Amino acid sequence: MALTLLRGIRTQALPRANAGLFCTTRLSPLARFTTRVEGVQTTSPKAAPTSIQQAAKEAAEQKMQGFEAVIGIETHVQLSTLTKAFCSCPYDYGSQPNSTVCPTCMGHPGTLPVLNAKVVECAVKVALALNCEVSMTSKFDRKQYFYPDLPKGYQISQFDIPIAEKGYIDLDLPVEFGGGHRRFGVTRVHIEEDAGKLLHSESGNYSQVDLNRAGVPLLEIVSEPDMRTGIEAAEYGAEVQRLVRYLGVGNGNMQEGSLRCDVNVSVRPIGQSEFGTKVEIKNMNSFNEISRAIDYEISRQIHLHKESQADQIVQETRLWNEASQKTFTMRKKEGLADYRYFPEPDLAEVVLTSEYVDEIRNSLPELPEAKRRRYENMGLSMQDVIFLANDDNVAHFFDSTLEHGADAKLAANWIMGDMTAYLKDEKLSIHESKLTPLELSEMIASIKNGTISGKIAKEILVELIAKGGTVKSVIEEKDLIQIADPAAIVAMVDKVLADNPKQLEQYRAGKTKLQGYFAGQVMKASKGKASPVLLNKILGEKLKGS
Amino acid sequence: MLSAAASAIPRLRCAAPPRQASSRTQWSLLWRRPLSSSPNVAPAAAAASGPGALEPPDLPRLAKSARISLSPQEAEEFAPKIQQVVDCSLELALYDIENKPEREGLRKKDNSLMNYLHTAVGSSLREDKAEPFANRDAIIEALPSYDDPYIKVPRVLNSE
Repeated sequence: MALTLLRGIRTQALPRANAGLFCTTRLSPLARFTTRVEGVQTTSPKAAPTSIQQAAKEAAEQKMQGFEAVIGIETHVQLSTLTKAFCSCPYDYGSQPNSTVCPTCMGHPGTLPVLNAKVVECAVKVALALNCEVSMTSKFDRKQYFYPDLPKGYQISQFDIPIAEKGYIDLDLPVEFGGGHRRFGVTRVHIEEDAGKLLHSESGNYSQVDLNRAGVPLLEIVSEPDMRTGIEAAEYGAEVQRLVRYLGVGNGNMQEGSLRCDVNVSVRPIGQSEFGTKVEIKNMNSFNEISRAIDYEISRQIHLHKESQADQIVQETRLWNEASQKTFTMRKKEGLADYRYFPEPDLAEVVLTSEYVDEIRNSLPELPEAKRRRYENMGLSMQDVIFLANDDNVAHFFDSTLEHGADAKLAANWIMGDMTAYLKDEKLSIHESKLTPLELSEMIASIKNGTISGKIAKEILVELIAKGGTVKSVIEEKDLIQIADPAAIVAMVDKVLADNPKQLEQYRAGKTKLQGYFAGQVMKASKGKASPVLLNKILGEKLKGS
Repeated sequence: MLSAAASAIPRLRCAAPPRQASSRTQWSLLWRRPLSSSPNVAPAAAAASGPGALEPPDLPRLAKSARISLSPQEAEEFAPKIQQVVDCSLELALYDIENKPEREGLRKKDNSLMNYLHTAVGSSLREDKAEPFANRDAIIEALPSYDDPYIKVPRVLNSE
């Protein structure tokens, strides 16, 4: 069925068609095609996951026209250590320009770098979390080039002996994109320092430099070219972010620049073993942009291949332009940069002992992948699993709630549904919620044993998140205990039926929908406390009987 | 002696077998690599071009990379001096540290470069404790061109 939809799109028009598609954000693959082709029945939203996956797969294959994309990502993660990598300057994002600087990070003559021990610890943590082989000895090198935001004229980095190599990362693709488990290789992880910020003044013939950021420690994580689609690449980036936040080594904010991704994309005909010419893309500020930029670039390259202009694909750096949803050439480089790497003579080797590495390994928290597998084994759906494991704080809240005896599925529903909706509206994060995991489990238990109804629970949930307190006290204070005594309900039903003879007439005449009206009246009379289940049962019997 | 060392280079490069990576031999492996990471310098080409025929340094290219302007006389003057530096580094690289007895504590003076780089864990690391630089004013004073609060630099069009 997806194929029928796709035949409506001509291949020559592909780039323009894609331009229209990319204006939307994160629609399911089927939704895209329904807007373009009229009169075709779509699968209902409640279709089984396998057919969505199948349709997504077929759609993707058709779009690739016999080519496959090869994508690799270089991620730079800013470490949130208290001081910079090679000097004792503090670093705060948003400080007054050129305030967190010293002669060392400004590259003044006669200064020497001294490595921050915390940087090594963070690097080893990330390396272990990425299942890498940690090098017990590694060294620093100078990467030399001239640029105003690089005070020393070289960047201290690690060239041929990085601190870690040959790892991998496991992730789950979002359900709305077909789901599925992936494992992507990590070529290497190394330590380096960040450069300052360069700003271009609007008028005038000068630029401006802020060196606050110069010398901030970075970890460069280079992936194997294992990704094949924009979604896979975006999810890889998201998982790295998740990992970094779980480990507490950085805040991984793309908007702030503490997580930066450069992507390399090439295409080749399916079955060919050689890689095609790879193109680097920069300037993507969110994971969605990464996904769209890659998809655009893939279709651009496939288009050139189809037009027999494959030689027009050159090894270059292109910038993603979010406004026009296209990539543009930054500049055609004359050749590869010659960084003249040589070992940094001012820094000693980084030598690790196996005790040190083991200590760090034992101190690692439960990582996202392990959490997801654990939640999956509890019987939660993949959608729930991915949501709960996404944010460490949410997962912690969920785990605590379970510790107090709540049922996993119910707890997941409450957290993912009402709680998240409220927090989002009030722009709060989960640890600002005054509702404690204990009280949430209390609330779930109260519904289960019939003390309150689900509807009442929704109301008190909001109160508890905002003001705290215990479930018990709120129920008592507001007199919300569900009326579950059949006799009491019978009495109320009788009264309502007696008070509304006209509607009762109409009901007997055939307007059966009025049962809802009666139910509403009873609810009103009971101030919402009547047990809905019991109410409808008794009401049904009464109405039938009469 | 230098030229003998230089002429020995091509043969040694071809003959060097891969070693097990103990950290000392790792260093010697490093130094056996071409000194420049540039793709333009290919060890095979250098080795193959006959005895003593390591490429002389391309001075104009070197000067351009270092953003230093050289007059033709200066280039002529500097070329042999730079060649000497290169030869000296190569001699260091060729120094055979494999067959020397293991020593505890201080290394031999000739291995001074290796000595410098090798150290125990912890001794050369710094605690992650902030110490803001006290004399920021002196730094600002020392800047050639300041446009409060930024450092003013010529307009950057591209990096080349």
